[in-house]
Amino acid sequence: MARSSKAVPWLVFAGGGTATAFILPVIVIITACYAFFGGFSAALSYETMHGFIGHWLIKLIVFGIMFLTLWHAAHRLRVVAHDFGIRADTPVAIVVYGLAAIGTLATIIALLNI
Amino acid sequence: METRNITLEVLRYRPEEDDKPFFQTYENIPCDPDWVVLDALNYVKDEMDRSLSFRWSCHMFVCGSCGMVVDGEPKLSCKAFLKDYGDKIRVEPLANFPIERDLVVVIDDFVEKLESVKPYLIPKEEKTVDQGEYLQTPTQLKTFKQYSMCINCLLCYSICPQYGLADEFVGPAALALAHRYNADSRDVGRKAREDVVASHDGIWECSFVGACSQVCPKDVDPAGAIQQTKITSAIDYVTSFIPGVKS
Amino acid sequence: MSRKPYVREMSKTSWFLSQARYRDYILHELTCIFIAIYALIWIFGLFRLGQGPEAWQGWLDGISSPLGVVFHIFLLFFAAVHTFSWFKVVPQAMRIQRGTDFVPGNIIVGAHYGILAVVTLFVLVLAGAA
Repeated sequence: MARSSKAVPWLVFAGGGTATAFILPVIVIITACYAFFGGFSAALSYETMHGFIGHWLIKLIVFGIMFLTLWHAAHRLRVVAHDFGIRADTPVAIVVYGLAAIGTLATIIALLNI
Repeated sequence: METRNITLEVLRYRPEEDDKPFFQTYENIPCDPDWVVLDALNYVKDEMDRSLSFRWSCHMFVCGSCGMVVDGEPKLSCKAFLKDYGDKIRVEPLANFPIERDLVVVIDDFVEKLESVKPYLIPKEEKTVDQGEYLQTPTQLKTFKQYSMCINCLLCYSICPQYGLADEFVGPAALALAHRYNADSRDVGRKAREDVVASHDGIWECSFVGACSQVCPKDVDPAGAIQQTKITSAIDYVTSFIPGVKS
Repeated sequence: MSRKPYVREMSKTSWFLSQARYRDYILHELTCIFIAIYALIWIFGLFRLGQGPEAWQGWLDGISSPLGVVFHIFLLFFAAVHTFSWFKVVPQAMRIQRGTDFVPGNIIVGAHYGILAVVTLFVLVLAGAA
Protein backbone atom coordinates (compact mmCIF):
# COMPACT_ATOMS: atom_id res chain seq x y z
CA MET A 1 0.00 0.00 0.00
CA ALA A 2 1.24 3.42 -0.87
CA ARG A 3 1.21 6.48 1.31
CA SER A 4 -1.82 8.58 0.56
CA SER A 5 -1.60 12.05 -0.94
CA LYS A 6 -4.62 12.93 1.22
CA ALA A 7 -2.00 14.17 3.70
CA VAL A 8 -1.64 17.45 1.78
CA PRO A 9 -5.29 18.60 1.66
CA TRP A 10 -5.73 17.33 5.20
CA LEU A 11 -3.03 19.69 6.46
CA VAL A 12 -4.80 22.62 4.78
CA PHE A 13 -8.13 21.32 6.12
CA ALA A 14 -6.76 21.26 9.66
CA GLY A 15 -5.22 24.72 9.31
CA GLY A 16 -8.41 26.08 7.78
CA GLY A 17 -10.59 24.55 10.46
CA THR A 18 -8.47 26.18 13.13
CA ALA A 19 -8.37 29.56 11.40
CA THR A 20 -12.13 29.64 10.79
CA ALA A 21 -12.88 28.48 14.34
CA PHE A 22 -11.12 31.60 15.63
CA ILE A 23 -12.00 34.18 12.99
CA LEU A 24 -15.35 33.17 11.50
CA PRO A 25 -17.54 33.94 14.56
CA VAL A 26 -16.64 37.63 14.74
CA ILE A 27 -16.93 38.19 10.97
CA VAL A 28 -20.33 36.49 10.99
CA ILE A 29 -21.40 38.57 14.01
CA ILE A 30 -20.53 41.78 12.13
CA THR A 31 -22.33 40.93 8.89
CA ALA A 32 -25.23 39.45 10.85
CA CYS A 33 -25.58 42.70 12.85
CA TYR A 34 -25.62 44.59 9.57
CA ALA A 35 -28.17 42.18 8.08
CA PHE A 36 -30.46 42.28 11.13
CA PHE A 37 -30.43 45.99 12.10
CA GLY A 38 -27.83 47.83 10.04
CA GLY A 39 -25.15 47.55 12.72
CA PHE A 40 -21.49 48.31 11.94
CA SER A 41 -22.63 50.35 8.93
CA ALA A 42 -19.70 52.74 9.37
CA ALA A 43 -17.18 49.90 9.39
CA LEU A 44 -18.82 48.29 6.37
CA SER A 45 -19.06 51.57 4.43
CA TYR A 46 -17.31 51.70 1.08
CA GLU A 47 -14.67 54.20 2.24
CA THR A 48 -13.69 52.22 5.32
CA MET A 49 -13.70 48.81 3.66
CA HIS A 50 -11.89 50.02 0.55
CA GLY A 51 -9.24 51.74 2.63
CA PHE A 52 -8.89 48.75 4.95
CA ILE A 53 -8.75 45.93 2.44
CA GLY A 54 -6.79 48.16 0.06
CA HIS A 55 -3.72 47.81 2.28
CA TRP A 56 -1.37 45.12 0.95
CA LEU A 57 -0.90 43.49 4.35
CA ILE A 58 -4.66 43.16 4.85
CA LYS A 59 -4.96 41.80 1.31
CA LEU A 60 -2.41 39.16 2.19
CA ILE A 61 -4.29 38.24 5.38
CA VAL A 62 -7.65 38.15 3.58
CA PHE A 63 -6.12 35.91 0.93
CA GLY A 64 -4.69 33.59 3.57
CA ILE A 65 -8.00 33.26 5.41
CA MET A 66 -9.94 32.78 2.18
CA PHE A 67 -7.54 30.14 0.87
CA LEU A 68 -7.66 28.16 4.12
CA THR A 69 -11.44 28.48 4.44
CA LEU A 70 -12.13 27.34 0.88
CA TRP A 71 -9.86 24.31 1.09
CA HIS A 72 -11.12 23.45 4.55
CA ALA A 73 -14.71 23.44 3.29
CA ALA A 74 -13.76 21.54 0.12
CA HIS A 75 -12.00 18.79 2.01
CA ARG A 76 -14.82 18.41 4.50
CA LEU A 77 -17.30 18.29 1.63
CA ARG A 78 -15.29 15.39 0.18
CA VAL A 79 -15.63 13.56 3.50
CA VAL A 80 -19.35 14.37 3.73
CA ALA A 81 -19.89 12.91 0.25
CA HIS A 82 -18.25 9.71 1.44
CA ASP A 83 -20.38 9.75 4.60
CA PHE A 84 -23.52 10.10 2.49
CA GLY A 85 -22.64 6.96 0.56
CA ILE A 86 -21.03 8.54 -2.52
CA ARG A 87 -18.07 6.25 -3.01
CA ALA A 88 -16.59 7.84 -6.15
CA ASP A 89 -13.87 9.54 -4.12
CA THR A 90 -11.58 10.61 -6.97
CA PRO A 91 -14.24 12.45 -9.05
CA VAL A 92 -15.59 14.04 -5.85
CA ALA A 93 -12.08 15.16 -4.89
CA ILE A 94 -11.47 16.65 -8.35
CA VAL A 95 -14.76 18.59 -8.20
CA VAL A 96 -14.42 19.98 -4.67
CA TYR A 97 -10.71 20.83 -4.90
CA GLY A 98 -11.31 22.24 -8.39
CA LEU A 99 -13.98 24.56 -6.99
CA ALA A 100 -11.66 25.57 -4.16
CA ALA A 101 -8.91 26.32 -6.70
CA ILE A 102 -11.29 28.47 -8.77
CA GLY A 103 -12.40 30.27 -5.60
CA THR A 104 -8.78 30.87 -4.62
CA LEU A 105 -8.01 32.29 -8.07
CA ALA A 106 -11.12 34.48 -7.96
CA THR A 107 -10.01 35.80 -4.57
CA ILE A 108 -6.63 36.79 -5.99
CA ILE A 109 -8.21 38.57 -8.97
CA ALA A 110 -10.73 40.37 -6.77
CA LEU A 111 -8.06 41.49 -4.31
CA LEU A 112 -5.79 42.75 -7.11
CA ASN A 113 -8.65 44.91 -8.36
CA ILE A 114 -9.16 46.69 -5.06
CA MET B 1 -30.07 -11.00 48.43
CA GLU B 2 -33.20 -9.82 46.65
CA THR B 3 -33.25 -11.07 43.04
CA ARG B 4 -34.59 -9.07 40.15
CA ASN B 5 -36.35 -10.62 37.18
CA ILE B 6 -34.86 -9.52 33.89
CA THR B 7 -35.87 -10.18 30.30
CA LEU B 8 -33.16 -10.59 27.66
CA GLU B 9 -33.86 -10.15 23.98
CA VAL B 10 -30.95 -11.87 22.30
CA LEU B 11 -30.19 -11.75 18.58
CA ARG B 12 -29.74 -15.36 17.57
CA TYR B 13 -28.31 -16.91 14.45
CA ARG B 14 -27.79 -20.63 14.05
CA PRO B 15 -26.11 -21.09 10.66
CA GLU B 16 -27.25 -24.68 10.18
CA GLU B 17 -30.95 -23.84 10.51
CA ASP B 18 -31.43 -20.06 10.14
CA ASP B 19 -31.25 -17.95 6.99
CA LYS B 20 -31.09 -14.76 8.98
CA PRO B 21 -30.80 -13.65 12.61
CA PHE B 22 -33.90 -13.27 14.81
CA PHE B 23 -34.54 -12.04 18.35
CA GLN B 24 -35.23 -14.67 20.99
CA THR B 25 -36.71 -13.54 24.29
CA TYR B 26 -35.69 -15.10 27.60
CA GLU B 27 -38.06 -14.01 30.35
CA ASN B 28 -37.93 -14.11 34.13
CA ILE B 29 -34.18 -14.49 34.52
CA PRO B 30 -33.62 -14.25 38.30
CA CYS B 31 -30.66 -11.90 38.66
CA ASP B 32 -28.68 -10.76 41.68
CA PRO B 33 -28.65 -6.95 41.96
CA ASP B 34 -24.90 -6.79 41.38
CA TRP B 35 -24.91 -8.96 38.26
CA VAL B 36 -23.68 -7.88 34.86
CA VAL B 37 -25.25 -8.75 31.49
CA LEU B 38 -22.73 -11.59 31.10
CA ASP B 39 -24.01 -13.20 34.34
CA ALA B 40 -27.56 -13.11 33.00
CA LEU B 41 -26.38 -14.70 29.73
CA ASN B 42 -24.57 -17.41 31.68
CA TYR B 43 -27.74 -18.07 33.67
CA VAL B 44 -29.65 -18.49 30.39
CA LYS B 45 -27.02 -20.88 29.07
CA ASP B 46 -26.82 -22.91 32.28
CA GLU B 47 -30.53 -23.07 33.16
CA MET B 48 -32.67 -22.19 30.14
CA ASP B 49 -31.07 -22.73 26.74
CA ARG B 50 -27.79 -24.55 26.30
CA SER B 51 -27.66 -23.78 22.59
CA LEU B 52 -26.95 -20.06 23.13
CA SER B 53 -23.40 -19.16 22.04
CA PHE B 54 -21.26 -16.26 23.20
CA ARG B 55 -17.60 -15.59 23.94
CA TRP B 56 -16.28 -14.75 27.37
CA SER B 57 -13.35 -15.55 29.57
CA CYS B 58 -12.07 -13.36 32.39
CA HIS B 59 -15.25 -11.65 33.64
CA MET B 60 -13.12 -8.68 34.77
CA PHE B 61 -12.59 -6.29 31.79
CA VAL B 62 -9.18 -7.69 30.92
CA CYS B 63 -9.51 -10.36 28.23
CA GLY B 64 -11.64 -8.39 25.78
CA SER B 65 -13.65 -11.36 24.51
CA CYS B 66 -17.20 -10.59 25.72
CA GLY B 67 -17.87 -7.50 23.62
CA MET B 68 -21.54 -7.22 22.56
CA VAL B 69 -24.05 -4.55 21.68
CA VAL B 70 -26.21 -3.96 24.77
CA ASP B 71 -29.27 -1.79 24.22
CA GLY B 72 -27.66 -0.37 21.09
CA GLU B 73 -24.29 0.46 22.66
CA PRO B 74 -21.14 -1.67 22.27
CA LYS B 75 -20.15 -2.90 25.74
CA LEU B 76 -18.06 -5.50 27.47
CA SER B 77 -20.93 -7.59 28.80
CA CYS B 78 -18.88 -8.22 31.97
CA LYS B 79 -18.81 -4.46 32.53
CA ALA B 80 -22.49 -3.80 31.72
CA PHE B 81 -24.08 -3.79 35.17
CA LEU B 82 -27.75 -4.69 35.29
CA LYS B 83 -28.44 -1.84 37.74
CA ASP B 84 -27.76 0.55 34.85
CA TYR B 85 -30.44 -1.04 32.66
CA GLY B 86 -34.19 -1.53 32.63
CA ASP B 87 -35.93 -4.85 33.12
CA LYS B 88 -35.78 -5.65 29.40
CA ILE B 89 -32.34 -5.65 27.79
CA ARG B 90 -31.54 -6.18 24.14
CA VAL B 91 -28.29 -8.00 23.41
CA GLU B 92 -26.81 -8.22 19.89
CA PRO B 93 -23.46 -9.31 18.47
CA LEU B 94 -20.91 -6.57 17.71
CA ALA B 95 -21.92 -4.56 14.65
CA ASN B 96 -19.78 -4.35 11.48
CA PHE B 97 -18.58 -7.96 11.78
CA PRO B 98 -20.17 -11.06 10.21
CA ILE B 99 -22.05 -13.23 12.69
CA GLU B 100 -20.54 -16.69 13.13
CA ARG B 101 -23.26 -17.87 15.52
CA ASP B 102 -25.54 -16.03 17.95
CA LEU B 103 -23.37 -13.44 19.74
CA VAL B 104 -20.10 -14.75 18.28
CA VAL B 105 -18.67 -12.68 15.42
CA VAL B 106 -15.97 -13.38 12.81
CA ILE B 107 -12.93 -11.26 13.66
CA ASP B 108 -10.41 -12.54 11.07
CA ASP B 109 -10.47 -9.19 9.28
CA PHE B 110 -9.36 -7.37 12.42
CA VAL B 111 -6.63 -9.89 13.22
CA GLU B 112 -5.15 -9.47 9.73
CA LYS B 113 -5.19 -5.68 10.11
CA LEU B 114 -3.64 -5.87 13.53
CA GLU B 115 -0.77 -7.93 12.09
CA SER B 116 -0.36 -5.53 9.19
CA VAL B 117 0.60 -2.59 11.44
CA LYS B 118 3.45 -4.53 13.09
CA PRO B 119 2.22 -4.11 16.67
CA TYR B 120 5.46 -5.05 18.35
CA LEU B 121 8.68 -3.32 19.35
CA ILE B 122 11.10 -2.80 16.48
CA PRO B 123 14.32 -1.75 18.23
CA LYS B 124 17.24 0.03 16.58
CA GLU B 125 19.42 -2.97 17.31
CA GLU B 126 18.36 -6.33 18.64
CA LYS B 127 19.78 -7.12 22.05
CA THR B 128 20.34 -10.51 23.57
CA VAL B 129 19.10 -11.12 27.10
CA ASP B 130 22.71 -10.84 28.31
CA GLN B 131 23.04 -7.39 26.84
CA GLY B 132 20.27 -6.17 29.11
CA GLU B 133 17.01 -4.25 28.84
CA TYR B 134 15.91 -1.43 26.57
CA LEU B 135 15.82 1.38 29.12
CA GLN B 136 13.09 3.97 29.30
CA THR B 137 12.23 6.83 31.64
CA PRO B 138 8.80 7.19 33.31
CA THR B 139 8.22 10.26 31.12
CA GLN B 140 8.90 8.26 27.96
CA LEU B 141 6.59 5.50 29.21
CA LYS B 142 3.80 7.97 29.90
CA THR B 143 3.84 9.19 26.28
CA PHE B 144 2.37 5.94 24.94
CA LYS B 145 1.05 4.10 28.01
CA GLN B 146 -2.57 5.04 27.41
CA TYR B 147 -2.47 3.47 23.94
CA SER B 148 -0.99 0.25 25.27
CA MET B 149 -4.10 -0.49 27.34
CA CYS B 150 -6.04 -1.87 24.36
CA ILE B 151 -7.50 -5.36 24.92
CA ASN B 152 -8.67 -5.86 21.30
CA CYS B 153 -12.30 -6.11 22.40
CA LEU B 154 -13.42 -4.49 19.11
CA LEU B 155 -16.07 -2.23 20.63
CA CYS B 156 -14.42 0.58 18.65
CA TYR B 157 -14.87 -1.28 15.33
CA SER B 158 -18.49 -1.96 16.21
CA ILE B 159 -19.27 1.75 16.66
CA CYS B 160 -17.03 3.12 13.87
CA PRO B 161 -19.20 4.18 10.91
CA GLN B 162 -16.20 4.45 8.59
CA TYR B 163 -15.36 0.79 9.21
CA GLY B 164 -19.03 -0.05 8.70
CA LEU B 165 -19.10 1.89 5.42
CA ALA B 166 -15.81 0.56 4.06
CA ASP B 167 -14.21 -2.44 5.74
CA GLU B 168 -10.90 -1.80 3.97
CA PHE B 169 -10.36 0.78 6.72
CA VAL B 170 -7.58 -0.43 9.02
CA GLY B 171 -9.68 0.81 11.93
CA PRO B 172 -9.36 2.36 15.40
CA ALA B 173 -7.68 -0.32 17.56
CA ALA B 174 -5.03 -1.34 15.00
CA LEU B 175 -4.13 2.29 14.24
CA ALA B 176 -4.03 3.16 17.95
CA LEU B 177 -1.68 0.25 18.52
CA ALA B 178 0.53 1.36 15.64
CA HIS B 179 0.67 4.76 17.33
CA ARG B 180 1.48 3.10 20.65
CA TYR B 181 4.68 1.60 19.15
CA ASN B 182 5.49 4.67 17.04
CA ALA B 183 5.40 6.77 20.22
CA ASP B 184 7.63 4.36 22.14
CA SER B 185 11.14 5.74 22.66
CA ARG B 186 12.62 2.23 22.24
CA ASP B 187 11.04 1.74 18.83
CA VAL B 188 12.29 2.76 15.38
CA GLY B 189 9.60 1.01 13.32
CA ARG B 190 7.52 4.04 12.37
CA LYS B 191 8.68 4.00 8.75
CA ALA B 192 7.99 0.27 8.45
CA ARG B 193 4.42 0.80 9.68
CA GLU B 194 3.81 3.93 7.63
CA ASP B 195 3.00 2.11 4.36
CA VAL B 196 -0.12 0.67 5.98
CA VAL B 197 -0.81 3.36 8.57
CA ALA B 198 -0.55 6.35 6.19
CA SER B 199 -2.19 4.61 3.24
CA HIS B 200 -5.58 5.62 1.91
CA ASP B 201 -7.19 2.85 3.99
CA GLY B 202 -5.23 3.81 7.09
CA ILE B 203 -5.49 7.02 9.09
CA TRP B 204 -6.87 8.98 6.11
CA GLU B 205 -10.06 6.93 6.06
CA CYS B 206 -10.80 8.22 9.57
CA SER B 207 -13.05 11.29 9.63
CA PHE B 208 -12.80 11.76 13.41
CA VAL B 209 -16.33 10.81 14.36
CA GLY B 210 -14.74 10.07 17.73
CA ALA B 211 -17.22 7.33 18.65
CA CYS B 212 -14.42 4.78 19.17
CA SER B 213 -12.98 6.78 22.05
CA GLN B 214 -16.42 7.19 23.63
CA VAL B 215 -17.09 3.44 23.79
CA CYS B 216 -13.56 2.26 24.64
CA PRO B 217 -13.74 0.42 27.98
CA LYS B 218 -10.03 1.05 28.63
CA ASP B 219 -9.95 4.80 27.79
CA VAL B 220 -7.42 4.20 25.03
CA ASP B 221 -8.71 7.13 22.90
CA PRO B 222 -8.06 5.61 19.45
CA ALA B 223 -9.51 8.74 17.78
CA GLY B 224 -6.90 10.91 19.47
CA ALA B 225 -4.13 8.47 18.53
CA ILE B 226 -5.22 8.59 14.88
CA GLN B 227 -5.32 12.40 14.77
CA GLN B 228 -1.83 12.59 16.28
CA THR B 229 -0.63 10.10 13.68
CA LYS B 230 -2.22 12.23 10.95
CA ILE B 231 -0.26 15.27 12.07
CA THR B 232 3.14 13.52 12.08
CA SER B 233 2.40 11.59 8.87
CA ALA B 234 1.20 14.69 7.03
CA ILE B 235 4.30 16.64 8.02
CA ASP B 236 6.43 13.67 6.92
CA TYR B 237 4.65 13.48 3.60
CA VAL B 238 5.05 17.17 2.83
CA THR B 239 8.66 17.46 3.96
CA SER B 240 9.58 14.38 1.87
CA PHE B 241 9.24 16.65 -1.18
CA ILE B 242 11.74 19.14 0.17
CA PRO B 243 15.19 18.33 -1.24
CA GLY B 244 17.67 17.33 1.41
CA VAL B 245 15.03 16.19 3.92
CA LYS B 246 14.96 12.44 4.38
CA SER B 247 11.59 10.95 5.25
CA MET C 1 -19.00 -28.45 9.99
CA SER C 2 -19.46 -25.89 7.27
CA ARG C 3 -19.52 -22.23 8.15
CA LYS C 4 -22.11 -19.72 7.00
CA PRO C 5 -21.28 -16.31 8.50
CA TYR C 6 -24.12 -13.79 8.29
CA VAL C 7 -23.17 -10.31 7.06
CA ARG C 8 -25.29 -7.37 8.19
CA GLU C 9 -25.14 -4.35 5.89
CA MET C 10 -25.03 -0.87 7.35
CA SER C 11 -27.27 1.67 5.65
CA LYS C 12 -24.92 3.76 3.52
CA THR C 13 -27.33 6.67 3.34
CA SER C 14 -29.00 6.92 6.74
CA TRP C 15 -26.52 5.57 9.30
CA PHE C 16 -25.80 9.07 10.58
CA LEU C 17 -29.36 9.41 11.88
CA SER C 18 -29.22 6.22 13.94
CA GLN C 19 -27.35 7.52 17.00
CA ALA C 20 -27.06 10.87 18.78
CA ARG C 21 -23.25 10.86 18.45
CA TYR C 22 -23.52 10.30 14.69
CA ARG C 23 -26.04 13.16 14.44
CA ASP C 24 -23.63 15.46 16.30
CA TYR C 25 -20.88 14.41 13.92
CA ILE C 26 -22.85 14.98 10.74
CA LEU C 27 -24.08 18.34 12.10
CA HIS C 28 -20.51 19.62 12.50
CA GLU C 29 -19.48 18.14 9.15
CA LEU C 30 -22.33 20.03 7.46
CA THR C 31 -21.00 23.35 8.78
CA CYS C 32 -18.70 23.26 5.73
CA ILE C 33 -21.62 23.92 3.39
CA PHE C 34 -22.56 27.16 5.14
CA ILE C 35 -18.93 28.19 5.53
CA ALA C 36 -18.35 27.57 1.80
CA ILE C 37 -21.41 29.64 0.81
CA TYR C 38 -20.30 32.44 3.13
CA ALA C 39 -16.81 32.38 1.60
CA LEU C 40 -18.31 32.62 -1.90
CA ILE C 41 -20.48 35.57 -0.79
CA TRP C 42 -17.32 37.32 0.45
CA ILE C 43 -15.39 36.61 -2.77
CA PHE C 44 -18.30 38.21 -4.62
CA GLY C 45 -18.14 41.08 -2.14
CA LEU C 46 -14.43 41.59 -2.81
CA PHE C 47 -15.20 41.90 -6.53
CA ARG C 48 -17.97 44.41 -5.80
CA LEU C 49 -15.63 46.39 -3.54
CA GLY C 50 -13.25 46.77 -6.47
CA GLN C 51 -16.06 48.02 -8.72
CA GLY C 52 -16.84 51.14 -6.70
CA PRO C 53 -19.21 52.48 -4.03
CA GLU C 54 -22.47 51.64 -5.81
CA ALA C 55 -21.51 48.05 -6.49
CA TRP C 56 -20.43 47.66 -2.86
CA GLN C 57 -23.70 49.15 -1.63
CA GLY C 58 -25.51 46.62 -3.80
CA TRP C 59 -23.63 43.85 -2.05
CA LEU C 60 -24.50 45.29 1.36
CA ASP C 61 -28.16 45.46 0.31
CA GLY C 62 -27.96 41.78 -0.59
CA ILE C 63 -26.60 40.96 2.86
CA SER C 64 -29.53 42.73 4.53
CA SER C 65 -32.17 41.34 2.16
CA PRO C 66 -34.68 38.85 3.64
CA LEU C 67 -32.66 35.99 2.14
CA GLY C 68 -29.48 37.44 3.64
CA VAL C 69 -31.14 37.67 7.07
CA VAL C 70 -32.37 34.07 6.93
CA PHE C 71 -28.95 32.87 5.76
CA HIS C 72 -27.26 34.69 8.64
CA ILE C 73 -29.52 33.01 11.18
CA PHE C 74 -28.33 29.61 9.94
CA LEU C 75 -24.78 30.87 9.60
CA LEU C 76 -24.60 32.10 13.20
CA PHE C 77 -25.71 28.66 14.35
CA PHE C 78 -23.33 26.69 12.14
CA ALA C 79 -20.38 29.00 12.86
CA ALA C 80 -20.94 28.36 16.57
CA VAL C 81 -21.22 24.61 15.94
CA HIS C 82 -17.97 24.67 13.97
CA THR C 83 -16.00 26.54 16.62
CA PHE C 84 -17.45 24.51 19.48
CA SER C 85 -16.90 21.13 17.84
CA TRP C 86 -13.41 22.09 16.65
CA PHE C 87 -12.18 23.28 20.05
CA LYS C 88 -13.76 20.30 21.83
CA VAL C 89 -11.49 17.74 20.17
CA VAL C 90 -8.23 19.70 20.20
CA PRO C 91 -6.96 17.97 23.40
CA GLN C 92 -7.27 14.60 21.65
CA ALA C 93 -5.31 15.67 18.59
CA MET C 94 -2.77 17.78 20.45
CA ARG C 95 -1.56 16.38 23.74
CA ILE C 96 0.89 18.49 25.71
CA GLN C 97 3.10 16.40 27.97
CA ARG C 98 4.92 17.92 30.96
CA GLY C 99 7.12 15.22 32.48
CA THR C 100 4.88 12.34 33.48
CA ASP C 101 1.70 14.43 33.25
CA PHE C 102 -0.41 15.82 30.48
CA VAL C 103 -1.80 19.34 30.49
CA PRO C 104 -5.51 18.81 31.31
CA GLY C 105 -7.80 18.99 28.29
CA ASN C 106 -10.02 21.69 29.75
CA ILE C 107 -7.02 24.02 30.09
CA ILE C 108 -6.18 23.54 26.39
CA VAL C 109 -9.80 24.10 25.39
CA GLY C 110 -10.08 27.05 27.77
CA ALA C 111 -6.99 28.66 26.23
CA HIS C 112 -8.62 28.35 22.81
CA TYR C 113 -11.76 30.11 24.06
CA GLY C 114 -9.55 32.77 25.62
CA ILE C 115 -7.85 33.47 22.28
CA LEU C 116 -11.25 33.42 20.57
CA ALA C 117 -12.53 36.04 23.02
CA VAL C 118 -9.49 38.27 22.44
CA VAL C 119 -9.75 38.00 18.64
CA THR C 120 -13.50 38.61 18.69
CA LEU C 121 -13.34 41.59 21.03
CA PHE C 122 -10.40 43.12 19.15
CA VAL C 123 -12.20 42.97 15.81
CA LEU C 124 -15.49 44.17 17.29
CA VAL C 125 -13.83 47.18 18.96
CA LEU C 126 -11.93 47.95 15.77
CA ALA C 127 -15.12 47.72 13.68
CA GLY C 128 -17.14 49.66 16.24
CA ALA C 129 -14.62 52.51 16.30
CA ALA C 130 -14.63 52.87 12.52
